[in-house]
Amino acid sequence: MKATFITLLLVLSLPLGLVAAGDAHAALDAVLAPGEEAASAEGNKLTMITEKFGVTVPTLIAQMINFCLVAFVLYKFAVKPIAATLDERQQKIADGLQYAEEMKAQLAEAERERAEKIKQAAIDAQKILTESREQSKEMIEQKTQEAAAQAEAIIRKASEATELERQKMLSDVRQEVARLVVATSSKVLSRDLSDAEKQTFSDSAAKELASAGN
Amino acid sequence: MKRDQKITRLAKKLVELSKDNGVVTEAKVGEVLAGLKQVQHRHHLTVLKTFLNYLRREIALQTAVVSTPGALSGAALKAIETTYSKMYDRPITAVTKEDTSLIAGVRVRVGDDVYDASVAGRLQRLAENVS
Repeated sequence: MKATFITLLLVLSLPLGLVAAGDAHAALDAVLAPGEEAASAEGNKLTMITEKFGVTVPTLIAQMINFCLVAFVLYKFAVKPIAATLDERQQKIADGLQYAEEMKAQLAEAERERAEKIKQAAIDAQKILTESREQSKEMIEQKTQEAAAQAEAIIRKASEATELERQKMLSDVRQEVARLVVATSSKVLSRDLSDAEKQTFSDSAAKELASAGN
Repeated sequence: MKRDQKITRLAKKLVELSKDNGVVTEAKVGEVLAGLKQVQHRHHLTVLKTFLNYLRREIALQTAVVSTPGALSGAALKAIETTYSKMYDRPITAVTKEDTSLIAGVRVRVGDDVYDASVAGRLQRLAENVS
């Protein structure tokens, strides 16, 4: 950037030099016109030129100093701030570009990671789905077996209960029949047996007990 | 507890003293009671109650209660006395008791043992076998 501005200054100073050279050439033509042959023949041409052109050392030094001052002032108060601003802007642009590149890379990385995660998630989901299906299948089979076992147990218990109920009913019927038979027989025997028959039976039973005891 | 044991032992001895040839007789019991009255034991009433319990038990062991719905011949009673005296190895007296629920036959009880030869008992056993 600095080189650019220095070049610009030189370009700007070139027309000034050309203007000064043009003025000097015109003054030389005016001086050489009356006695061109005598001057060119004799004397030191260089001295004569410098004298004729009015080029003096103090003027030249003063012009050089002026030029340096102008160049310094321009460099100090124009070129340098502008160059700094341009450098800062260029740095910002470079930073922005770099940031954009980084963001692009990060975005690509994030995209890649996202895609990878989605892929992994899909794999995991598929795995979970498969496991869930297997578990549900096992659970259904287990529940089916349990239900079958429970149904079988209920049927068995009901059958046992029915059988017990039947046995109890048969027992009750037998007891009732026996009770009725005994009651009827007792009434019939009590009514039909005479006292003599009862005494005969009692004597016989007593002898039976006596003989059994012996 | 120790006092009860002493009274129990005393009551058992009194029961033994109340026997005449292995049989509890009224005369012997009267003698024992008279003796008790003279001694005047410190726990007189308790001794008497315990003696009464053991006496009842002894009498029950020596008595065959023959339950029958009607009259029973003397020969049958004698046969029962002879048989059970021999069976229990002690003199047993038969006592009749009327029980019309037996319909016919006899039921003999000696102590806690019961021998049944009645119609009601046979019908009851039949019913139990059927059911």
